[in-house]
Amino acid sequence: MFLAVLTPTDSREVSPDATLVRGLLQRDVRSFEQLYDRHSRAVYSLVLGILRQAASAEEVVQDVFLLLWRNAGRYDSSRGPFLPWLLTLARNRALDQLRLKSERQRRREDQTDELPPVPHAPDFEHNFDEKRRAERVCALMVSLQPKQKRAIELAYFEGLSHTEIAAALKEPLGTVKSWIRTGLMRLKEGLQGAS
Amino acid sequence: MSEHDKFRELIEPYALGSLDAGERSELEAHLRAGCSDCAKALDEARWLVAQLAYLAPEAVPSEILKGRLLQQVRADARSGRHSSRIPLWIWGAVAASLLFAFYTAWDARQTQVAIRKANESAAAALEQQKHLRGELALARREAMILTDPKSVKILLPPSASNMPVLEAMWHEKMGLCITGRNIPMPPPNRALQLWLIPKSAGAKPMPSVMLRPEPDGTFMMMVSNPPEGMHNVKALAITEEPAGGSPQPTSPPLWVGTVS
Repeated sequence: MFLAVLTPTDSREVSPDATLVRGLLQRDVRSFEQLYDRHSRAVYSLVLGILRQAASAEEVVQDVFLLLWRNAGRYDSSRGPFLPWLLTLARNRALDQLRLKSERQRRREDQTDELPPVPHAPDFEHNFDEKRRAERVCALMVSLQPKQKRAIELAYFEGLSHTEIAAALKEPLGTVKSWIRTGLMRLKEGLQGAS
Repeated sequence: MSEHDKFRELIEPYALGSLDAGERSELEAHLRAGCSDCAKALDEARWLVAQLAYLAPEAVPSEILKGRLLQQVRADARSGRHSSRIPLWIWGAVAASLLFAFYTAWDARQTQVAIRKANESAAAALEQQKHLRGELALARREAMILTDPKSVKILLPPSASNMPVLEAMWHEKMGLCITGRNIPMPPPNRALQLWLIPKSAGAKPMPSVMLRPEPDGTFMMMVSNPPEGMHNVKALAITEEPAGGSPQPTSPPLWVGTVS
């Protein structure tokens, strides 16, 4: 059973993420600690959801926050909110780790410094606060056909391609493509439609 | 359906990372050609995909992780370390790519194809090199742990007489390495999980990595950063747990080794 877990965060708070990220540029450890306290649970939950191993997940979370500390200038607050960017970075790192593990069941020591682009939040972003959006996302996903939901989860949490998902679910490739596309559109419409 | 509509339908799966290589390359070429409509849609699709993180089950990182991170960040702040961690050879590769692009600019169409292929090859080569460096570093670390005289040898006798003994080598700075042979394969939805038993009275076992043996029964567990230092641990234990891991042991230990 999947549950909503992200730390409630409102971009209109007095001490927004963008201010704290600016603190990182000044090498302010206190700003880093506040950012960690605000988002470490969300990042850890996501990474653990991908890797399923607590020790490996903590290593990746450590990598993610150190990358943030050392590359804070790469986040452009004018392009979009901070948390989706941080979660995209964490997902990329966790999937890298997962792919390597599937090859050797071991962990690697090197790091890629590739940081994702900052996602641009759509106009309807403020339809919900974080907590309600989490509930909404879970409800919308549960409303999908079980295999359609599973296809999206395999892509998001395991990094599988359309072809790999089709093989895993023993469904035609075209069906899987359609499931994923329509499932994401339904999610978008569900977040867009309610205010 | 127009060519543009065809690409537009690939945007969300592209942000999700689920496109197969062929479609991904075609869409990237379309984006590089400057389609502003698709670029804007991609920005928003990335936000949409990030919302899927809400599906992850709730979990809380350990306080040890926060302490370790803050320690590292404070050390960084004191040393004035800056952000650039890009090795010189990557800058070299970038410069070479640019020179190549200028040189072949006389034929724009042909150059586009050539640059794309060269970039793909370079990226694959860089990725392969990075991967090999990681593998080499890992192998070197394992070898150092296994051979360094400062490593402490810990035998983990089995609870059942028909099971083999595991052997651990623990180096305070480089990590912990546990090896064994002829290990029975756990059921498909189960895995072996390592636990560190703290010395302090009443402290709970600390969960560490999970692993399944190789199909031939060999077992090699490498823990680069154990969640606790050797001097604070009195024993290592391995239990069989659900494949997703467990915050505390749910079955009797299969192997236990005392840390001297």
